[in-house]
Formats: sequence, C-alpha cells, structure tokens
Amino acid sequence: MTAPLLELDGLHVDFHLRSGTVHAVRGLSFTLGRERLGIVGESGSGKSQTGRAILGLTPPPGHVTAKKMTFDGIDLLNANKETWRKLRGRRLTMVMQDPKYSLNPIMTIGDQIMETFRSHVKASRSEARDKAIEMLEAVQIRDPGRVFSLYPHEVSGGMGQRAMIAMMLVTDPDLFIADEITSALDVTVQMEVLHILDELVAERGMGLIFISHDLKLVSSFCDRVLVMYGGRVMEELSASQLGNAQHPYTQGLLKCLPTLDNASRPLPVLTRDPEWLA
Amino acid sequence: MSDGILKMLEVDNLAVTYGSGRLINHAVKKVSFQVEQGEAYGLVGESGSGKSTILRAICGLAPVSGGTMRLNGAPVTSPRDQNFHRSVQMVFQDPYGSLHPRHTVDRVLSEPMAIHGLDSRNDRIVQALAEVGLGPTFRFRFPHQLSGGQRQRVAIARALILEPKLLLLDEPTSALDASVQAEILNLLDDLRRKRGLTYILVSHDLAVVSYLCNRLLVMRNGDAIEELTTDRLREGSASSDYTRTLLSASHGFARRGSHVPNARATG
Repeated sequence: MTAPLLELDGLHVDFHLRSGTVHAVRGLSFTLGRERLGIVGESGSGKSQTGRAILGLTPPPGHVTAKKMTFDGIDLLNANKETWRKLRGRRLTMVMQDPKYSLNPIMTIGDQIMETFRSHVKASRSEARDKAIEMLEAVQIRDPGRVFSLYPHEVSGGMGQRAMIAMMLVTDPDLFIADEITSALDVTVQMEVLHILDELVAERGMGLIFISHDLKLVSSFCDRVLVMYGGRVMEELSASQLGNAQHPYTQGLLKCLPTLDNASRPLPVLTRDPEWLA
Repeated sequence: MSDGILKMLEVDNLAVTYGSGRLINHAVKKVSFQVEQGEAYGLVGESGSGKSTILRAICGLAPVSGGTMRLNGAPVTSPRDQNFHRSVQMVFQDPYGSLHPRHTVDRVLSEPMAIHGLDSRNDRIVQALAEVGLGPTFRFRFPHQLSGGQRQRVAIARALILEPKLLLLDEPTSALDASVQAEILNLLDDLRRKRGLTYILVSHDLAVVSYLCNRLLVMRNGDAIEELTTDRLREGSASSDYTRTLLSASHGFARRGSHVPNARATG
C-alpha cells in the first residue's frame, strides 16, 4: 500500500467577521489515494471551502487550521509561496463552476493553455502549442486548431468548460479538484463533459475530488462520497451503497428530490436536527 | 369549468425573432400549444431552446414576430392591458434578482395592489403571506434578511396577491437547494389545487416538470419537438430521440459500456 496522496486531519476554515465568526468547515478529516472522491452538500455546507483550503485559496478574512494537511508528504499548512507555486497549477489543479468567470476574456483559449504549460514546464512556444492542441483534442474538441485561436466569449459553456479541463490537465497533475464543474451546463452537455473527465482521470491515474450539490450525479460518478452539512461530514459512503445511507440527512436529501419513477406527493421535506452539528 | 373544453391559453404559430439580416436569431419558430383551465403545462428544454422566451412573449416581454395568442378565448392585445396583467402573473427564476433590494416585503406586495386599485390591502397582505407559509413577522423585512426559499415565497405571494388565473413560472426552483426546492414545489402544487390556478412551468429538469405538470412540450433550438403527457414520460414512451436523450441524462451518469443503456447508443 502506497502513501496516500492527500491527508487531511481536523480541517477548520473560519471566517472572523465583524458580526461574529462563521465556521465554514468544522473538523474535516479524510485521506485520498488515486481515486475519485465525491463531496456533496447543500449551499453553506463547506464543500467549496474545503476544496479552496486544500489549494491554499481561502479568501480573506478566512482562516485555515488543521492538525495535519499534507499532499504527497508535503506539509501544506506551512508551505511557503515558492512551494505553492510549484504545486498549484502543476500537481494540484482545480476547475470551478462557470468557465465564463474562470477564463481570461482577453486572451485566446490556446494562449491561456500555453501560458499555463510554460509557467510550469520548460518548453518552447511551438512545443507548448503542440501540447495545447493535443490537450484540446483529448477533451474531444473536434476542430482544435480553430478553437485554439478563439476567445472565451466565442465558445459555448460546454466548450469553455472543456477548455478549462484541458488547461488544468496540461501539466499532468496528481490531484484534480472539480468544484461544481457541470452545474452551469445543460444535462446532455454535462454527460459529455463527465465522460471526458472520467476517461482522462482513469487514463492518467490521478486523484479526483468531485464537489457537487447533486448527490445522485456524484454517486454515479465517484468511488466514495462524503456528505457534508454545516461544515461537517454527516456520512461517508461507498458510492454503490447510496441506497443504504444511514444518516437522516443523506436519506432526506435523497427523498426530497422529485423523480420520474415516483409520483407520490407531497414531497417529503427535510427536517434539520440541531443535534447533527452538536 | 373543469371539463377540459375551456382553454385558458391558446398559442398558435408563435414566432419570436431577435435582430435582423445577417444577425437574425429565430428564438421561437412557429410553436403552437393549448393550455386548459386548471391544468399545469410544462415547457422543457436546454438553454437556447426558446422555452423562457415563450413565457416572456406571453406576457409581452419579448418581441412577437408572428402568430396569435388567445387568453380565455379573447385575443391578446399588444401592448397588454391592465386586465391581462390582472389574470396573468409571472414568477422568475432568481429570487435574488427579482425582488427590489431596498423595498420591504410589505412594499413589494403593496405595489401591484396600488397599480390595480385593490382595496383592503392590509388584510390581503397578511393573507398572501400566510398562504405561502410566511408568518406576519416577515412583513417588514428586506430581501437580504430572507433566505433564498423565503424570497421565492415572497415572489410567489406577489404574483398571487392580484388573484390571477394563470401563473407563468420560469425555473422557479433551479436557484434553490434540493431540500428548499421540495418545499416550494409542494407549495406550488398545493396552491394550484386550492385556488384552481393554471400553470405554465418552464424548467430544464424533467423530474420537476413531471412532479407539477400534467402535460409538457419538449423544445429544442426554438422548435417544438414533441408534446406528451407526464404519464407517458414516466413510462419512458417518448417518441423522439431527443426526449429519450434528456430522459437518460436525467438518470445520472452512466459509464460507457456499463449496463445502463445510453440513449444515444440505442436511439
């Protein structure tokens, strides 16, 4: 058994505001190997702040504390700027929800991928160009040469999200964090993007953290699922065991969704128990 | 009334076009459908399918370039008259964007009544809040003091306070968490039964549409693909490939080559 890729022990993310302290993440612990881990929760559950904390991207006035947070044996809690520069964007990468906001609007897609590649790997412009085209092909963009020279506003949401994935995989990362990457996309496009991600993750054998509010989607895509509520993990499940979820929150989340198979009404409404956060 | 003969809304060959010449965009291309009184009708499709544009065209927010509409048998005039807005009201997708940030709930609910000259406003406000499950304590709050679900309840109360017959719902739950979505769907379902309302619901989510609606129209790129009943959708007996693709996508991710059939491979 090899050492885990990522080890988190007792992660806390707190925001000290004038109106008081908001505990976004309260004591989260998990270890991740080269597998697909899903993190599910509703808004305010701390799932996105977990992803940001791993990458050291907690926005001010957020404060991250943990007993342990290591990536491949490297201590992330005390990492200096130079260590972060070597890790972030190269070995640890992240794609967020909406490509409209994460792509640079005044740079062509190809130039952005080349820039990412060349800031981490020593390569000539033409090598970087070839690599960028190769990555655009890998995310199944049919005409990579044309898309290479397009600006972000000239492509659709699904295409933009594929370009983001291409950019974040160009350095062959070890850990890829996907934060709601398909929520802004149409269902049929969602499936295409997921198929591409699924194949690339399997091919490259990297670790994936897939953050989403959609419990069913996550469990159909990942090996293991953490269900979060109020900054805590309510339950950890292997994805195939979703039907046997024990925690009332997980069960409530599953039941409150309308389904095509079940026409019963009214929909069961989730009742939150303050005990869960005690 | 409920024998299904009376039509609440008849839309015939509706077309909506934006721009002209080389930049012309046919957002809705000759779409026809009829909604009976007391029925809940769904418009389903992906982004750019024209489903929201149809709703906006009905209440006069989009430029209609062809076709006719009849409300309760009478032709819809352009611009819409006060009577039209009294009987047709809309609830928008984003409760964060559709309420004025500096108006209290009281003011939000008073404005439509002032426009339409309704009396006993005080009682109506209290009653409207109660109907959407908000207590009188919410009356003098600002939107930022409400959660997303509470805001959407206020938006529904604002639409209902004029006692309309037809409610146009544009993705009313897609900005909400799953557990809050369930509460709002229950509320909408309940209100329709109690008050005999007619709904036209726009959504990208087949499960949401099948929960609230009796019949639905599947749209793509401005065209109507097929109209079917919710029961037939549940049985999976959709006739077009596109509807089947949407159906299989709504069942979650299926790894290629796994046992769950992929609509594009089988269709």
